[in-house]
Amino acid sequence: MRIFGLLLAAIVLIALPFFTTGYVIYLANILLTFTVLCLGLHIVIGEAGQFSLAHAAFYGIGIYVTGIAGTKYGLPFPVTMLIGGVAAAAVGFVIGVIALRMRDIYLALATFAFGEAMQWLFQNWDAVTGGPNGLRIAPAHLFGHEFVTDKDAYPVVVLFALLMIGLTILISRARLGRALRAVRESEVAAQAMGIPVQRAKLLAFGLSAFFAGIAGGMFTLFSTFIHPESLGFSTTMLALTMVVVGGLGSIGGAVGGAIVFGLISELLRQAPSFQEIAYGLILIIFMMYAPKGLFAFLADKFGRARHG
Amino acid sequence: MDLELAILFLQQGLVSGLVIGSVYALLALSIVMIFKTSEVPNFAAGEVFMAAAYCALFLMVFRALPVWLAIPLTLATSFLVAALFRRGVLTQVAKASGSPVNLVIATLGLSYVLKGLVRRTGYGDTPRSFPALVSTDSVMIGQASLTRLDMAIFVAAVVVMAAVFWLFAYTKVGRSMRAVGMNPKAARLMGVNIERVHMLVWGLSAVISAIAALLIAPKILMTAEMGSVVTMAFAAAIVGGFTSLPGAVVGGFVIGIVENLVGLFISSRAIVVAPFLVIMLVLIFRPQGLFGGRFAIKKV
Repeated sequence: MRIFGLLLAAIVLIALPFFTTGYVIYLANILLTFTVLCLGLHIVIGEAGQFSLAHAAFYGIGIYVTGIAGTKYGLPFPVTMLIGGVAAAAVGFVIGVIALRMRDIYLALATFAFGEAMQWLFQNWDAVTGGPNGLRIAPAHLFGHEFVTDKDAYPVVVLFALLMIGLTILISRARLGRALRAVRESEVAAQAMGIPVQRAKLLAFGLSAFFAGIAGGMFTLFSTFIHPESLGFSTTMLALTMVVVGGLGSIGGAVGGAIVFGLISELLRQAPSFQEIAYGLILIIFMMYAPKGLFAFLADKFGRARHG
Repeated sequence: MDLELAILFLQQGLVSGLVIGSVYALLALSIVMIFKTSEVPNFAAGEVFMAAAYCALFLMVFRALPVWLAIPLTLATSFLVAALFRRGVLTQVAKASGSPVNLVIATLGLSYVLKGLVRRTGYGDTPRSFPALVSTDSVMIGQASLTRLDMAIFVAAVVVMAAVFWLFAYTKVGRSMRAVGMNPKAARLMGVNIERVHMLVWGLSAVISAIAALLIAPKILMTAEMGSVVTMAFAAAIVGGFTSLPGAVVGGFVIGIVENLVGLFISSRAIVVAPFLVIMLVLIFRPQGLFGGRFAIKKV
């Protein structure tokens, strides 16, 4: 079943550019970018249980740093994306240091405040970010080849998405993943087991920010423009919604949530007011009847049907 | 900047800060009330505030109802919608999963629904102005200038705050609300109907938001996005420690005054970011907020 699903996903990913038009490819790029963004949120909230609400800020740092490194300094894209990811991770570590002093609601609110402050910075640091006018991003390039269209960028976006999914699985199965889950379940117990709780939390924040930074870099591959309006709390909430609706704490949930919910919100874009109502109702109904997320819900129903 | 101007600015900043701060304080109260009893930061607070303002606008301007009828109707509607949301939705969410994240996401869902509904009506598409119930002639306090409307806002807000404190401190309902906040199980054993208390808290919180909306609406342009004011209220609640009612009020005034002083002394562009810097500073140096209690380490 699982292998069949993966095979199907692989076929869709490979076949997509041969059979579809520009818009679908653009959509695929956006969904894959959101997948990576959600994986970052999955690490900090799903695995480590630390409530961080500044994800859009790290995403923004990734976009601006990658975009500026490519546009202003003309660096090739793997380098620019690495710089973007590392820059976001560095800021993530700093936030992590602050976060060590807080928990629960205070942590959520401090990171929320940080996110809002960063959006303000994006909007007002005209010299670097272009301020409210936004920033033009030159096409990414490598060995003289330029990535101009969505189709050009698509293979690279897919590659990065797969890399980051692999990295998440690796982290989850490694000692670090177990340490993070232990911290999520009980800090006191984790400490008693000899897990360096502080270091685990710092790593969770840093890694989560790194993922968001890479997602930002992926965005610059197929997008030529960024406006700070789209880097606020609503983006953080969109990612959080995807992770929770998919199923908090599971990698499949984060990936599936990003794709399913990303599609829903894209399809509803035609009618903004309906979009908001439908979006809100979906959230409410999910939380009421499928609190463990879409995939756990389906598995539950499916399993029950099979057993009789 | 010479000294005389600085003193003038200081007075104006303080006075205007107290006025806008009183509205933030009301909103912060409505957030903290809910958080204290159910540990849920209500992300729909801003949209409840916005929807209440539109409800009043609809009744007064488009249905031409008299003020004495429109205002109670608005407050009653807010109470009902919020109490029903608590009863119909959040109870089920809490039953389905114990995680507070799910409750938070459900309130987020409500905020989208309310915003979408206001947009559907078509009134939210263009900015509208709300009729002022009190004249906007200006009055001087010291060297600071204020409108009569501002003074009415401040006085009304303070009266509402006093009523809330009286309710929490001296009435049986208030006592049961506090009891549910401290220990729901023990409260149930003492015969408190927890579900009813939650509904009451949500309803009251919505009424307070609605009052804040009615007070501030004549001063600002109404749009479907006006709920974003709530970020200031969250800031106020955080500064105050998030679980303390007096803290929320003090936080509201602090945020209001800081916002105005920053606007006058530094730059109007910095107004938006100032509260967030205040939050971060407060939380870094005093992670439990100014009025929050000490952290208790949860048992294993």
